[in-house]
Amino acid sequence: MTNLAEAAPASAQPKPPTWRTRIRNALARVRAPFSVALARMRALVTQTEIDLRLFGMLVALGVILLVFNTASNGKLVQPANMITMAVQACGIAILATGMVMVIVSRNIDLSVGSLVGLISMSYAILMTDWFPHILGLSSSVPLQWALALVLGIGIGVVVGAIQGFIIAYIGVPSFVVTLGGLLSIRGLIWYQSQGSAVTGLDPTFQLIGGGALGSAGEVVTWAIGIVGCLAVVGLLLNNRRQRRRYGFPLRPIWAEVVIGAVASVGILFLAWFANNNFWPKGLADQYAASHGITPPAGGLLIPTGFPFPVLLLIGVTLVMTWLANRRKFGRNVYAYGGNPDAALLAGINTRWTIMKTYMVMGVLCALAAAIAAARLNGSTLDIGVSYELYVIAAAVVGGTSFAGGIGTIPGAVLGAFVMQSLAYGLSFIGVNSPGQNVVAGIVLILAVGFDTWNRRRAR
Amino acid sequence: MLNKPAVALFATIIVVSAACGGNGATTAPTNPPVATAAPTTAVTPPPATTVASTTAGCSVGVSWNNFQQPRWAAHDKPGIQNTVTAGGGTYTDADANLSSEQQATDIQTMVNKGVNVLIVLAQDTTAALPAIKAAEQAGVKVIAYDRLIEDSSVLYITFDNVAVGKDQAAAILQKVPTGNYVIIKGDSGDPNASTFLPQGYKDAGLMDKVASGAITILNSTGTTYPADYGTFTDAWKTENAQTNMEAIIDSATSNSKTIDAILDENDSTALGVVGAETAKSMAYAPLSGQDGDTANLNNVALGKQYVDIWKNANELGKAAGAAALALCAGGSMASLTLKSGLIDPTVAPTAGLTAQPFTTPGNNTVSSFILQPTPITADNLNVVLDQKWVAKADLCKDVDTSSATAPAACK
Repeated sequence: MTNLAEAAPASAQPKPPTWRTRIRNALARVRAPFSVALARMRALVTQTEIDLRLFGMLVALGVILLVFNTASNGKLVQPANMITMAVQACGIAILATGMVMVIVSRNIDLSVGSLVGLISMSYAILMTDWFPHILGLSSSVPLQWALALVLGIGIGVVVGAIQGFIIAYIGVPSFVVTLGGLLSIRGLIWYQSQGSAVTGLDPTFQLIGGGALGSAGEVVTWAIGIVGCLAVVGLLLNNRRQRRRYGFPLRPIWAEVVIGAVASVGILFLAWFANNNFWPKGLADQYAASHGITPPAGGLLIPTGFPFPVLLLIGVTLVMTWLANRRKFGRNVYAYGGNPDAALLAGINTRWTIMKTYMVMGVLCALAAAIAAARLNGSTLDIGVSYELYVIAAAVVGGTSFAGGIGTIPGAVLGAFVMQSLAYGLSFIGVNSPGQNVVAGIVLILAVGFDTWNRRRAR
Repeated sequence: MLNKPAVALFATIIVVSAACGGNGATTAPTNPPVATAAPTTAVTPPPATTVASTTAGCSVGVSWNNFQQPRWAAHDKPGIQNTVTAGGGTYTDADANLSSEQQATDIQTMVNKGVNVLIVLAQDTTAALPAIKAAEQAGVKVIAYDRLIEDSSVLYITFDNVAVGKDQAAAILQKVPTGNYVIIKGDSGDPNASTFLPQGYKDAGLMDKVASGAITILNSTGTTYPADYGTFTDAWKTENAQTNMEAIIDSATSNSKTIDAILDENDSTALGVVGAETAKSMAYAPLSGQDGDTANLNNVALGKQYVDIWKNANELGKAAGAAALALCAGGSMASLTLKSGLIDPTVAPTAGLTAQPFTTPGNNTVSSFILQPTPITADNLNVVLDQKWVAKADLCKDVDTSSATAPAACK
């Protein structure tokens, strides 16, 4: 510009704009209404205080399902298939809720897969060998499943406590301790059964794995849906009252209504969707015959509703979210992850906090192991192999940062569902496991890459 | 993963080899071969007449790729060990814990300790080659046990893997001559999974029936056999087989198709298939497997799996032990003959008890003994009981023996 000015000093007239400026101006004119609309929408979204990351993942999940639905000629998105997918995701999702706490506090747990395998094999051996042969319990003794579950949780807590103690109090890096755990616990599983598969679990225990019988049924599913809606409304009201009480800014009423309505409709839709999955025909016919019912022309339609493992996952997600957001333990974890020195100086018992994250992880391993063992009606040597990778991937896709201090539990659960929807969708349209692995790896990198880029831009 | 007994055995071998010069005088008149693990082994020991004395000093080393799978320690190892020690030889082994590197080290260690014959269950058909070559240069004879090693001077002792596939398909085809089939394959990196077993399916007439329309393979993505047919299972993992099978069942149900039969390549994946069928409350479709794992034989007794192709590892071990002793005695690989009556006639190679040439996928011609597998259904479960392969309590767990459909072996 300075050159131009020197070249024509006499002329006072403004130079006609160059083509480049003209195009730029034209584009700006066209873009203006959009950017205004965008800014306005952004403001509206800000007012609703929705977690955009979570929302984005829900959208991504929807897009993945739609793409595979198209690829499978509209066959994928059906209640039966979605329930299979959800059940397959449950184990990883449950573990991911704990992995968030571990990663947020700047640690890692590589031993989850092996621990799941150890506990899963323990369930199998307890129920097929120890209970009948050592304790002398006959199969008619009730609540054996509960006893097994309690013992499994006990194993998880003990192993978690040992690893957590070494990490927190002795100061060995978590990567090393849990890598050691990964190897040695996997080795222990061999000694449990001398390498063979152990099958034939307690019938009640098998229900933890889902299936037609391992589901809540129509009435309970609707009840859960309604309770869910009431809870959403209650939470919103309570939140509003608290904000008013402490003089915090309130969400606009319309935002509250929209959130409440969308959440309630979503929950009721899921309940309805799950109730549109019916018992397999053979089982329904058997039931009809044994109850003296003449099946109607289309066969007896018995809705399954939510499967138990999904309910277990919902319960775990609620409890873990509550632990993370509402309890001292959770606040300590985030405080430590954000700034370990500050947390220590603030008087937080950081060592005990870290040790507890591993104990929580142990409990979750026991729950995931219960689902895995129940689904297989037994345990093999390789249950849980490479779970740690899927769990860490789910947590990271769900927005957990390795830098510590950042990560949400619902995010990790959604991350697990995103990964599982890819695996299931590819498997459904007949892509073999090498192809699935390629896609899963690329999506992992893309998801984290996008997240990193987004965060840097926001800063 | 060197376990204590193995270390102890090594120690014994050292002592034995060290003491051989003096000790051997009582058993062997001249140079016992153990003492000559060095280049001098190139001198061929005198034949036939000294067989007894040479086998008496025969040191056989076994390199297992893993003890994770129960069959190796439980059946193959005793088969080899008992045959070798009964023939006056000494037995030593090592377990490589699924690592090719560890296996190479194990082989080297055993060669250094002075074994005469190495029996190798290879973790990888080619990764073991450098160590095998070094062993052969040191004058050690090598037997490729159960898995092929791509080297022209090994003796290959195994079960006929193509026949395993053929037996699986023959049994299922006889049970379900027409209908919708699913094929569950093992790991995509294993030639058994991708080539030999599918070859057996074809030999049994599966693809002819597909061509005629009598059979439809539900999980096929094209028309190239075997690449486009069936679903691979990463690492032969039960869990992977289960998730894959659930997706296949869902896909079939969505397309209003029934699954009438499942050709599954082995037992750990078949266990996953049964898990998927149970999870979906589906009637158990006739299903194949191989290996004779306890849980799967139990499923055969319970009617959840139709056929299990059993490879009698006791007999495989015996054959390898006997072959090792014969090699120690100076027999040449090409004309090696097993004693008749040593191996169960139903398992013995169809080609007879003399080693046969076998052309490998890598175009090496090796001497081989190819044993025959045994199909096990609910009708002949007594075979595995008679061979003490499984205990009756495990085989018949949860079987309602009062029911008319319970297998005879459980009654």
